[in-house]
Amino acid sequence: MGEAIVITSGKGGVGKTTTTANLGTALALQGKKVCLIDTDIGLRNLDVILGLENRIIYDLIDVLEGRCKVHQALVKDKRFDDMLYLLPAAQTADKNDVNPEQMKELVTELKKDYDFVIIDCPAGIEQGYKNAVAGADHAIVVTTPEISAVRDADRIIGLLELEENIDAPRLIINRIRPHLMKAGEALDVNEITTHLSIDLLGIIADDERVISSSNKGEPIVMDPSNTAALGYRNIARRLLGESVPLMSMEKAPPSLFTKIKAVFTK
Amino acid sequence: MKNLVNIKGKNKGLVLYLDDQCAYSELLTELKTKVSDPALDSDTEVTVHLNKRYCTESQIQELSEVVATNPHLKVVGTTSDILKVEECEQKIIESQSETYVGIVRSGQVIKAEGDLVVIGDVNPNGRVEAGGSVYVLGRLKGAAHAGTKGNRDAVIAASWLEATQLKIHDELETMTDELSSLSEQPEMECAYLHKNGTIIIDRLQELRFIRPQISTFKGGS
Repeated sequence: MGEAIVITSGKGGVGKTTTTANLGTALALQGKKVCLIDTDIGLRNLDVILGLENRIIYDLIDVLEGRCKVHQALVKDKRFDDMLYLLPAAQTADKNDVNPEQMKELVTELKKDYDFVIIDCPAGIEQGYKNAVAGADHAIVVTTPEISAVRDADRIIGLLELEENIDAPRLIINRIRPHLMKAGEALDVNEITTHLSIDLLGIIADDERVISSSNKGEPIVMDPSNTAALGYRNIARRLLGESVPLMSMEKAPPSLFTKIKAVFTK
Repeated sequence: MKNLVNIKGKNKGLVLYLDDQCAYSELLTELKTKVSDPALDSDTEVTVHLNKRYCTESQIQELSEVVATNPHLKVVGTTSDILKVEECEQKIIESQSETYVGIVRSGQVIKAEGDLVVIGDVNPNGRVEAGGSVYVLGRLKGAAHAGTKGNRDAVIAASWLEATQLKIHDELETMTDELSSLSEQPEMECAYLHKNGTIIIDRLQELRFIRPQISTFKGGS
């Protein structure tokens, strides 16, 4: 029996889908059987980032409405022999066409066959969010070092804490720009974790190559020399129970590293 | 016949002790006679004591008006030995303190009938409301409302007071940069309603002089 993780943020555009794609890929690279579910019905993107857009035959709605079997709708990523699958969202329906009970049933079903079921949550706190969290056992909140994103993360954490079936949410801080943090013009890692007071799962550096590789349909995590990729790989290892120290940000002064380390060892 | 209205002098004016066994109408007649006594010819403040008689708001109003027929007497208040059960229960609830342990996050509202103690932060867009005072053992970064039921003596105290809005009774203060009383390091501060109707922020240490009645601790050495 695997575990289901929902990736959420409240605010849009902070990198939920990119995180889902990369974390899923990283776990598959670690030899785990992974199924990604895109719950952003009507605005699907996960398939594009994974480069699987052309292979979609059936989608989430087809499965829930019984037009096909689950395994028929799952799209296999051929790059990771039999390890990574995607259940794409429907583009022609909307979020109200699904209810949390259906999602819960589906996720429970998938957990039997996969080590990790990773659910990509849409932005917002409405029906789409409720559907995405329904079947999850764990939650990962993605935020960026911007006040607006941190505010929304706080709201989402409050809502997640009300969910009885979900463990205490964990945090990923995405798109860190070391020079802005150093200059005090962006919130630093320590400030964000103290404010939200949840466990920090990892930090990801802001990197243009994340965008270019997403556009090519190849998750950045496949390039082991990239710092953002390393961040995702570290998170995957932490999810598997390894204790990996937080990486130091490129060009960051030593004091920042000490600060980050202090947060992590707390 | 028994005296239905007893007038006693106290250091601050007169106290009218009204009999609580006779009929209300008898009492009213007697009171009229008593206050029209020509001997009461100097300006005095008067307190009406109802003993164990329960009077409605309108009856209290009527009694005050009767006393005021003598232009020298000024009613400053009424006291009574009794309280309705529901009033009593309300007072018990308001004097109680409720504790919330955890973080009040964005979009969450925590309400208490009496005092509210929050052990944890109140994050921006989080809200705490109390019939009595609000005490935050942590950072108050959201909105706080004390004295929601009209208690003007309620205070808001926090380990770190950087709220977005403070409200005491019905006075609202938005904590914008224009507010001169904001400090750079808002550590251990409290907010209270000044007599002039504005919210003042001060050091937490000043609270025992500003609102000594908040301290309910008796005895000690």
